[in-house]
Amino acid sequence: MTIIETSGLTKYYGDLCAVDHLDLSVGNEIFGLLGPNGSGKTTTVLMLTTLLEPTGGSARICGYDTREEAREVRRQISYVPQEMAVDIKLTGRENVAFFAKLYGIPRRDEAVDRVLSMMDLSERADDLVRTYSGGMRRRLELAQALVHEPKVLFLDEPTIGLDVAARRKIWEHIRTLKSRGMTIFVTTHYMDEADHSCDRVAILDRGRVIAVDSPSALRARVGNDIISARVRGQIGDTFPEGITHLGERDNGEIVFSTDHGSEKVPVLFHWLEKRGVSVQSISVREPTLDDVFLSLVTQREEGHGFDDHKFRTMLRRR
Amino acid sequence: MKDILYYFERDMLRWIRGRISVISALIMPAAWLIFVGLALPTTFSEHYIDFITPGILVLTMLGASLQGGSLLIFDKILGFLNKFLALPSSRESILLGKILFITTRGLIQATVILVLAWALGASLLSPAGILLSYGILALFGILLSAFSTTIALYLSDHDSYAAFNAMVSMPLFFTSSALMPYSVMPSWLAPIAYWNPVSFAIDAIRSLQEGVLAWTRIGGLAVLAALVVAFCVQKFRKVTV
Repeated sequence: MTIIETSGLTKYYGDLCAVDHLDLSVGNEIFGLLGPNGSGKTTTVLMLTTLLEPTGGSARICGYDTREEAREVRRQISYVPQEMAVDIKLTGRENVAFFAKLYGIPRRDEAVDRVLSMMDLSERADDLVRTYSGGMRRRLELAQALVHEPKVLFLDEPTIGLDVAARRKIWEHIRTLKSRGMTIFVTTHYMDEADHSCDRVAILDRGRVIAVDSPSALRARVGNDIISARVRGQIGDTFPEGITHLGERDNGEIVFSTDHGSEKVPVLFHWLEKRGVSVQSISVREPTLDDVFLSLVTQREEGHGFDDHKFRTMLRRR
Repeated sequence: MKDILYYFERDMLRWIRGRISVISALIMPAAWLIFVGLALPTTFSEHYIDFITPGILVLTMLGASLQGGSLLIFDKILGFLNKFLALPSSRESILLGKILFITTRGLIQATVILVLAWALGASLLSPAGILLSYGILALFGILLSAFSTTIALYLSDHDSYAAFNAMVSMPLFFTSSALMPYSVMPSWLAPIAYWNPVSFAIDAIRSLQEGVLAWTRIGGLAVLAALVVAFCVQKFRKVTV
């Protein structure tokens, strides 16, 4: 069953393309939209939640067109934006009741109690939100979003700014919601979180989907093992057989993929040393979605005259 | 329609619970009345406090309404607006809720002025006159709060809103009939002041002091308010982020 479907969904800001012909089909699952900051994730969510008019293409949520039947779409969804927007001068219960009223929910008090306890907030429900921690505020937002039992939940960077424990808890709640039959569309730039919890992910780079699959299938694309190394000197562009150069990470690590990590480490080490490159550290690990992203982006960048800086500056203005 | 009340209730709770903002909202107009009403040397009126009170009442509504626009700016910056826009409830109720709250808050401030003016020796209007004054102030509040909230919808940060506020409020007030009657104004100012909507409200309340109902002034205000609210509702219905 298709819950979210986009075809050729496109958004331009002036002559800058933020989302470029997006074709997605999301079923009843936890679907992650991944990519670095400025890759078009939020723009996509804003279009799907009827807040932003697409420049081209269309999107349907539960069969309703986001442009033609916006009101019906809004009945099916809930949207939690990146900013933590809860009223700190109101209590947790008042915050949720406010949304319950706006949704026109019958038997409001019961519904409010139910979502507050679902999000483990019952005990603190009558305290002012001012006294809540970041993780509690985010859970309160989830409670607000859940009070009308939406079919689809849109979460934009739900774990941003939270500590590790709070993040884990948010993801636990997201998985519970999925098990109750809700479809969750989540954006994040934390690849590891998506790896653990999403059924499928789409990797977005500069407004384009460069891969859609389950996290494990995506990891399998880059091979069994990852060798990462820190070196001094130019590594050149030819490498021993069975070792593929994926690219360089922002932290300066050079990343290679291979099918037999531990056997290939000495091979790679000698190869590099023989060419005058001094190896400072080298290690083998399992591939992550970050490596997938690196390999996909590196392929795209070759022979690509793209003004990255301008693109990101324009997007940040939003 | 209930949604308007829910949005109103939220803003009201937030305002009342921020004690300092309540105190400031009540002290500001009082300061105006005392310093302008009692301290300004005037030659055209025996009883300047009677003359200035309608002006200060309307000034208070003007200030309250223009300041009220920043509520929407904060809802926008902090992400509340996006959540509201994604709700199935009608989008114009966001605007109408703001108008209701901002106007109500302005009327509460106006009440402080009325009580204080009376304490300072201003002559009191008849009960019907007081009621009509509230009606005129409410119309004026609706007009200005619709305008300021809709401007806020199109501005992206609080600094630009503050700039807009400063740019609009001072000229509107000083080119009105608030501080002096038309007869003592410079000749270039009088026609400007006459067509300033701020003067519509002030003149209408001043007529009440003489027991006259200034229908053209009240009517002008009502038509203007209706047009602006209709226009702003259209803008809110079509808004995208």
